[in-house]
Amino acid sequence: MPFPDVKLANRPLHFLYLCDCSGSMAASGKMQALNQAIRQSLPGMAAVARDNPEARVLVRAVRFADHAAWHIETPTPVDQLEWRDLQAGGITAMGEALKLVAAALQTPPMEVRALPPVLVLISDGQPTDDFAAGLEALLRVPWAQKAVRLAIALGHDADLEVLQRFIGIEPATAGRSPRRPLQASNATSLAQYIQWASTAVVGAASMPASRVSETPLEPAAGNIPLPDLPPTVLDPTDDVGPLVW
Amino acid sequence: MSWILPEGASLEFEGLAAPLRIIRGLGGGTQGQVYEVELEGERLALKWYLPACIARDGGLERRLVASIRATAPNEDFLWPIALLRASPASRPLIRIRQESFGYLMPLRPPAYVGACEHASGRLAIGLRQVLRACFGLADAFHALHLAGLCYKDVSLGNLFLEPGSGSILICDNDNVAVDGADHGAVLGTPGFMAPEVLLGQARPGADSDLFSLAVLLFRLLTRHDPLKGQMELAIRCLDEPARRRLCGEDPVFIFDPVDDRNRPDPIEHAAALITWPIYPRPLQALFEQTFCRGMKQPSRRALTGQWKQELARTLDRRTLCLACGQENFQASGAPALCWSCGAPLPEPITLLLAHGSVVAAPDNELHAHHFDALAGEDLRRPLARVVAHPQDPRRLGLRNLQAAAWSAETHDGRSQPVQPGESCSLAALARIQSPAGPIAVQRPTRPSPAT
Ligand SMILES: Nc1ncnc2c1ncn2[C@@H]1O[C@H](COP(=O)(O)OP(=O)(O)O)[C@@H](O)[C@H]1O
Ligand SMILES: [Mg+2]
Repeated sequence: MPFPDVKLANRPLHFLYLCDCSGSMAASGKMQALNQAIRQSLPGMAAVARDNPEARVLVRAVRFADHAAWHIETPTPVDQLEWRDLQAGGITAMGEALKLVAAALQTPPMEVRALPPVLVLISDGQPTDDFAAGLEALLRVPWAQKAVRLAIALGHDADLEVLQRFIGIEPATAGRSPRRPLQASNATSLAQYIQWASTAVVGAASMPASRVSETPLEPAAGNIPLPDLPPTVLDPTDDVGPLVW
Repeated sequence: MSWILPEGASLEFEGLAAPLRIIRGLGGGTQGQVYEVELEGERLALKWYLPACIARDGGLERRLVASIRATAPNEDFLWPIALLRASPASRPLIRIRQESFGYLMPLRPPAYVGACEHASGRLAIGLRQVLRACFGLADAFHALHLAGLCYKDVSLGNLFLEPGSGSILICDNDNVAVDGADHGAVLGTPGFMAPEVLLGQARPGADSDLFSLAVLLFRLLTRHDPLKGQMELAIRCLDEPARRRLCGEDPVFIFDPVDDRNRPDPIEHAAALITWPIYPRPLQALFEQTFCRGMKQPSRRALTGQWKQELARTLDRRTLCLACGQENFQASGAPALCWSCGAPLPEPITLLLAHGSVVAAPDNELHAHHFDALAGEDLRRPLARVVAHPQDPRRLGLRNLQAAAWSAETHDGRSQPVQPGESCSLAALARIQSPAGPIAVQRPTRPSPAT
């Protein structure tokens, strides 16, 4: 006879991409690389979601150029997600994007109980609007304060200082270097970071993974201990040298 | 996934006479990547470590070498077979610059699925199979602890189940060490870690394994977490500090008979409320022992031998509801109601043995430990199995799974042989003489309820 039809109680885990779609993203195939990286990461993300019965992983995405707008507005279970390509063109309304996310993280519409949300900001340039006001609006929202905030800088023109303010400035703790924006200088490293954020970080925020003694059990800052970054896997197809942004 | 080892390539490793073919990557975890490989026609699994993991865990290689030498406690472990380092010729094919190594282990057969498939309710599995898996888990840890070893990282992620039989396999055996001897890097998986380990007051060892084992058994039996009740509902953001409070600083078992602060919520935690009453008191008592007194006193936790005994006895009590067919496990004697449909359960035929008794219900089995007080509980080699008559499932028989014939005695004193593989109908029998010992057939004292 079957085991009674009961399921493990679970909590939503909101995962939000904030994608820079400014005109500069059209250069050197950056926009295509980002679309590819996210699309390729979805099966792995779905597998992590399956393995974590305590979490209901729900994905959304914001695009920002001249204005910020929802690219995926409905929190979508990752196995039902279809990634439509983002198009580049315009300036960099990053502050507006943060305000859009701030509104979405208010309760309601946010659930009363959830896992820490994961916010991933990807940009190749500098905000052209009031970034500080956007960040302030975001960080006033309790769910944004609790969120795991990651930033990926595409190429050398990305504003690392702005991205660092988004993820938070963390005092250096013994044995751990403070968190920095991830710097992707080519399509391969971008894909690895997107994959890391959508699998390892989602795993860490939903059902905790094995802990080793070096993982501080009481992290100084950030309420989820972040997993190791992926090892630098040498790309065997890279004989001609990676395209560097 | 970016694979460190090249899929499809053949690599040479030091100490291996033949090259190893990397068939495909199977998965990656926090410590490394696991591949399906082929060595001289045999399929095996290879775990290759990430350099960060090797750097952090100085004792890793030493532990692996010791485990390989010691061999597996029993066959339920996907135990390391050999430590591998690439030969100089194959080194350039490995796609990381830092020096690294891995180990070979048996490959998990495809019929086994990750235990989280069950925890998340996606697996079709029966209660008997879940209880057998729990027994297998207790048995495996019993063998491991008796060998003086501890596992340290018990979690759903390291357990595989075969839903048809309830057989198990345990992977990720690279943290195994002599209890108390080795300060490995791993602390455990939050949610399964003993409070004293989570709070940094103790290193993981056999006592903390007992806590983690009880959590895993509870999750398999109830599809719920033993510490998630009202106190979890009061937490808005379930992050690291909140988990630390819930599982370390103030952990309260949801069914603590005395402290009722963390009772399950009827809606949010329905799974626990539906499944917990299925299990007999003595089994529930082991959870209470571990999660109440044993919560803060590691030496008071239920031992692997106690789990084995109570889980085996629970399986011996298994009976089927005549109304809905669901499996019930309540203690015999007092009239009981089916946990699923509420119908009264008939008092069943019971097989009385030198060391215990087994309810006659299809698929229930007799084992050596039922006849011999010195034999440890072991479900691998049944000596007899209760079978339903193919035409009339109400008529139960007992199949002889031993190598020699039985002598079945009827009430009027006649006897007839039951050859190996044959079954005898229990209705007419008073007793069976088997090479393992006598089997007395006890009929119900009260009539079964009308159906
Ligand atoms: N012997 C094996 N056979 C098949 N798959 C395995 C085996 N061992 C591990 N795996 C799979 O490989 C993946 C990673 O394994 P694991 O050892 O748990 O990594 P980590 O310890 O780094 O988390 C998991 O998906 C697991 O199911
Ligand atoms: Mg693992």
